[in-house]
Amino acid sequence: MKTEVLMIGAGTSGLCAAVRLAEAGVKVIVIATGAGSLGLAPATLDILGYAPELVLDPMGALPAFVSEHPEHPYALVGLERLRSAVAWFQATAAELGYQGGLERNRLLSTALGGLRPSALLPDSMTAGAMASGRRVLIASIRGFRDFYPQLVAENLASSEMGVDASWVELDWSGDATDLVPTRLWRQLREPAVRHQLASMLRPSMDGVEAVGLPAILGRTESQAVRHDLEEQLGRPVFEIPTLPPSLPGLRLFDLLRGALRRAGGRLILGSTAAEFRADGRRVLAVRASEENRHDEYEAGAFVLATGGMGAGGIEVDASRQAREPVFDLPLSGVPGEAEDWVDTEYFREQPFDRAGVRVDGSMRPVDAAGEAIFDNLFVVGAELAGAEPWREKSGEGISLVTALRAAEAILEEGR
Amino acid sequence: MSELGLAAPGSVRASLDQCVKCTICESACPVMEVTDLFLGPKTLGPQAERFRTGDRSPDHSVDYCSSCGICTRVCPQGVRIAEINSQARAQLKVDQGSRFRDQLLARPDVMGRMARPVAPVFNWAMGSPVLRAAGQRVLGIHRSAPVPQATSRTFEYRLRRRPRRAAGQRIVFFYGCSTNYFEPRLGEMTIAVLEHNGFQVEVPRQGCCGLPLQSNGLYPAAREYVRRLTAQLSEGGLAGLDVVATSTSCGLMLKREAIEILGVEDRPVRELAARTYDLFEFLRDRHERGELRTDFVGVPLTVAYHAACQQQNQQIGKPALDILSLVPGLKVVELDRSCCGTAGTYGTKAEKYDIAMRVGAPLFADIQEARPDLVLCEGETCRWQISHATGLPTAHPVEILYKAYGGR
Amino acid sequence: MTELPETQLLVIGGGSTGAGVAWDAARRGLHVTLVDRGDLATGTTGRFHGLLHSGGRYAVKDPGSARECAGENVILRRIAAGCIEDTGGLFVTTPADDPGYADRFLAGAAVAGMPVEEIPVAEALRREPLLNPRISRAIAVQDGSIDCWKTVWACVRGARAYGAQILPYHEVLSIRLEQGAVVGASLRDNVAGAVVEIRAQCILNAAGPWTGRIAKMAGCALGVIPGKGVMVAMNHRLVNTVINRCNMPGDGDIIVPAHTVCVIGTTDVPVDDPDQIAPTAAEVAKMMAAGEVLVPGFSRARALRAWAGARPLIPKGAAPAGEVRDTREVTRSHSVVKHAGVDGVEHFITITGGKFTTFRLMAEDAVDAVCADLKVSARCSTAEAPLPDSEDQRFFSLGSHQKEMEEHVGDDPLICECELVTRGALRSAASGRPGQQLDDLRRSLRLGMGPCQGGFCSFRAAGLLHHEGYYDRSQTNDALAAFVEERWRGQRMVLWGQQLRQYRLDSWIFQGILDLEHLPA
Repeated sequence: MKTEVLMIGAGTSGLCAAVRLAEAGVKVIVIATGAGSLGLAPATLDILGYAPELVLDPMGALPAFVSEHPEHPYALVGLERLRSAVAWFQATAAELGYQGGLERNRLLSTALGGLRPSALLPDSMTAGAMASGRRVLIASIRGFRDFYPQLVAENLASSEMGVDASWVELDWSGDATDLVPTRLWRQLREPAVRHQLASMLRPSMDGVEAVGLPAILGRTESQAVRHDLEEQLGRPVFEIPTLPPSLPGLRLFDLLRGALRRAGGRLILGSTAAEFRADGRRVLAVRASEENRHDEYEAGAFVLATGGMGAGGIEVDASRQAREPVFDLPLSGVPGEAEDWVDTEYFREQPFDRAGVRVDGSMRPVDAAGEAIFDNLFVVGAELAGAEPWREKSGEGISLVTALRAAEAILEEGR
Repeated sequence: MSELGLAAPGSVRASLDQCVKCTICESACPVMEVTDLFLGPKTLGPQAERFRTGDRSPDHSVDYCSSCGICTRVCPQGVRIAEINSQARAQLKVDQGSRFRDQLLARPDVMGRMARPVAPVFNWAMGSPVLRAAGQRVLGIHRSAPVPQATSRTFEYRLRRRPRRAAGQRIVFFYGCSTNYFEPRLGEMTIAVLEHNGFQVEVPRQGCCGLPLQSNGLYPAAREYVRRLTAQLSEGGLAGLDVVATSTSCGLMLKREAIEILGVEDRPVRELAARTYDLFEFLRDRHERGELRTDFVGVPLTVAYHAACQQQNQQIGKPALDILSLVPGLKVVELDRSCCGTAGTYGTKAEKYDIAMRVGAPLFADIQEARPDLVLCEGETCRWQISHATGLPTAHPVEILYKAYGGR
Repeated sequence: MTELPETQLLVIGGGSTGAGVAWDAARRGLHVTLVDRGDLATGTTGRFHGLLHSGGRYAVKDPGSARECAGENVILRRIAAGCIEDTGGLFVTTPADDPGYADRFLAGAAVAGMPVEEIPVAEALRREPLLNPRISRAIAVQDGSIDCWKTVWACVRGARAYGAQILPYHEVLSIRLEQGAVVGASLRDNVAGAVVEIRAQCILNAAGPWTGRIAKMAGCALGVIPGKGVMVAMNHRLVNTVINRCNMPGDGDIIVPAHTVCVIGTTDVPVDDPDQIAPTAAEVAKMMAAGEVLVPGFSRARALRAWAGARPLIPKGAAPAGEVRDTREVTRSHSVVKHAGVDGVEHFITITGGKFTTFRLMAEDAVDAVCADLKVSARCSTAEAPLPDSEDQRFFSLGSHQKEMEEHVGDDPLICECELVTRGALRSAASGRPGQQLDDLRRSLRLGMGPCQGGFCSFRAAGLLHHEGYYDRSQTNDALAAFVEERWRGQRMVLWGQQLRQYRLDSWIFQGILDLEHLPA
């Protein structure tokens, strides 16, 4: 197949770059092994949460952070691009109502009742930004195994911030088998079910400012579901993300997929990039692996958004040899000996945590001398070296800003 | 290990090691969402396999898997979930035996051959509520499940009477059972479109690819069928020629499933897989090389296009849309729902019909909202399901191309 | 200072030997108290591959031991059927093995009275399609797969029914002697933190590789050397039969299917400290390579976890004086040491050496010695008495879990999906032993022992236990963090391929979504 840009990977960075390019009129095909990681993540836009201490003002903390971590993707892209990237995201995901800003992290309750910093929240979560003295009710349906409201409320109440959290469990009369997340989301779309839940919640509303529920408020029509509950309760309702499957993440996935499709982009799931063909410093085509078939995608530019070690973007064999499997790009941050890979304790940075592909400021992968290896290949997102997104709370920010930087670089090149 | 001997490294079963329990498959499974009879692709696939030791199948609900393949497609780790489920179902059939109904539904070639000489009677019977109710009671085929119209003038019959182009690049046309017995016009239109583009279309005698046997868990018979078909499409001077398939389900069977799911390793089957193309995939390749004729007349219709599951499982994008965008006057609405629900013979079964209709409900609603003149889909059972559910006419997209080339 | 009730027999060590002794002694009417510094079966017993020996490994080297194993194998199948999966075993001659060994194996098996059957290679490959196709011979044996925790807990439940007192998390700090005789011990309750005293008429040292340390507390010298053995569990059962190399015993020569995984083992390296035995990358690599010989492609399959156990080794040829020898002159692979004779310390007996399969016999010998010491005349009856939950003599079947899950999942949802642990099972296990760590529950339920290594179920289990009132808020937070650390220990040395991807997803869950590091104290 021929296209102008081939995107490899359908996670946050792959889809954001693809939408950006497609909306600029570029013909984009996205190929991916599967539906990416969006369905696993809470889908808040996290810019910087810990550096390693809690960050309350990301924009304020970032300059020091990038000077301490010159290899970090934020350092390479440049902080000045962050604001426009965030604005683009808010506009693109307008339907989900992302609110917030770079100057102030909101503190959201986790499914354990800890407080997690995040810069932009979808509107399903904005009422959950915690502050001292807020009075919230944490609720769930008895038997829903991925959320424990009492634990959340108790941990919130014990936080330094002093959140006044109460909790309730609803004895919903639906079928026990409907408490599986995917069926529960569907159930919440039924007005009768919402009515029942609202009437069960009402007795606990006294003095409560907002109600927190696990993130089950409908995959489609989620605004309507939430607004209906808010109307019935007379209070804002907010979602608390929990174990995968992440409904907020899936909504974002659906939104980006739809935006891509409407802009004329094509998404092909179940297609794993395996090999490439190049002429000097120009990549010409990428081949997908499949039993007995060798479909080739020819394009003018290629973006590798394969997600790093967690997603097969970097493969590590039993002897701890690490490899980027499509283009065999050089990797940095990979420890030499197997013994050197790991620390004794879990809650520490592990020696291999920041391993990934090194790029220049335009997101082109570079060799040891810092020279771009190919003119028309870009690497974005979790595939990049230099960050520890799950601890820094910077995953979406990195994915977004590097994706848009690569898209702009491609547009600048005139493809 | 199972009797089917499908445990080798690199095999479908070995891919269970890739599962990280992320639940993305379950969030995409259209069957699990609408019924609790199906515990979910992860639960019954890679997770359950760790408990299956090759003795009698310990569990049964995997039979409710529709084999739509969406789980495999969305799995970010490359677990062959639908394939694992398919093999577990086959093992279940080995252990528990299979119903006569499944044996019958799995052989559309047999059903077609039986119906052909009595086509008007067959069609009348399929439309008779009394007989359909009896059919549900006796056989387990749901009384409302859509059944295509049989014809005595099969595609094979018409071929014998149709002059064909004898010059140009030779390609082989794999038309599939449903074209032959139920939709012969589709075959004729396809030949016309290919000939218009300069091809000499070889149409050897051919049988069923065995896909319905496979999806009903009847593997030994499925393997026989696919080997026979391979020979029919490869022998007598046809070796090495590209094969073009109009049915995306049958096409996928030859491209991949016979090898990956049935474990057929024969060289001829592998070689055939390497040269089998979906019709529109083939036409798009031609177009990208500037070799597709675009002497189209206007087709002033509004059509809605649904990519069948097996079409999407070919990972070729949506070439029908790419080609149809070239046809003047045509308004194309791209439907974006995962599955129509019927999944081949699944939706015709009494215990699964309602599940199938619930799975397809969002698609049917989208279609109604789009108000197209025609719904296009490359899967034949999908076409019948969509017509049944929406009341709208359906067609294979090649029909539009045929009209655009001036055909009537 | 709290004083526990005086006991006739204090058993130190809650592994298979200690549990077997408690069961045997309690049945003989003795008042027994069993102590272990941690949860039961966390020493050698909880760290081996789960092989129910046919004796095959000793058929050539030590037919006496082989005979002993073969005999106990039959007995255990009779009394502990519910703990055993009847997988059968194979000894196969790979291209790397001595081709002549197989005949010597058959001869030794005959001498030892061990049931064996040579089968055609094609039949072996049919049973086990992933086995090395280049094997030249295959001999079927009565190996099985035994669940050590189930067995230990069954013994202990049985002992309790006869009045035994079972005290996990009670660590021996010192042994008290009066006039050259042991009279009791000081114990620290590792959960409550208090020190308690106990008086005992006789002390049996069944502390496995720590028996030397315990013996020293009583002023006795015991030459037991801890031997480190590394094992790797693979994510799924590549084989459903125990597979052995038909060769002189060596490293990595056995693969044992155990529940949902299969385990390759092991090594044998003398170490000083049985508490410092973390597997090294080189040892793990060695096991992966060894697996490759039996199952080509093994090293590309997913390794789930690596750990080590320390077995208690009696130095070869140095039978301590005072060892029990029975009149039939069968060589025992274990030793009972009466310290009264050896060290002049009365009422102190050590049982050491041996293997899991012979634990019942070890216990019998040890309790015989205890009875002699206490001048109690009572005979062993454990060979005939089914353990609790094995009364119906039906072997464990893995598929039955899946079947039950399918039948009941509507009413009793899964907390740990990988290992099919239901909410009801978690509740029952928690209420049966209040104050347990999540890790203790893991051992009895297999919680978190599947591919996700607790990624999903740790949170669910902790939340549920808090919900049910077993933990308060801060205990819940701590329990979750401790569980995650513990799961990490076993994964550190297998972080490659798919397990590395799992680890990364789990980091996103624990740190990204749940932010475990930043919970209120």
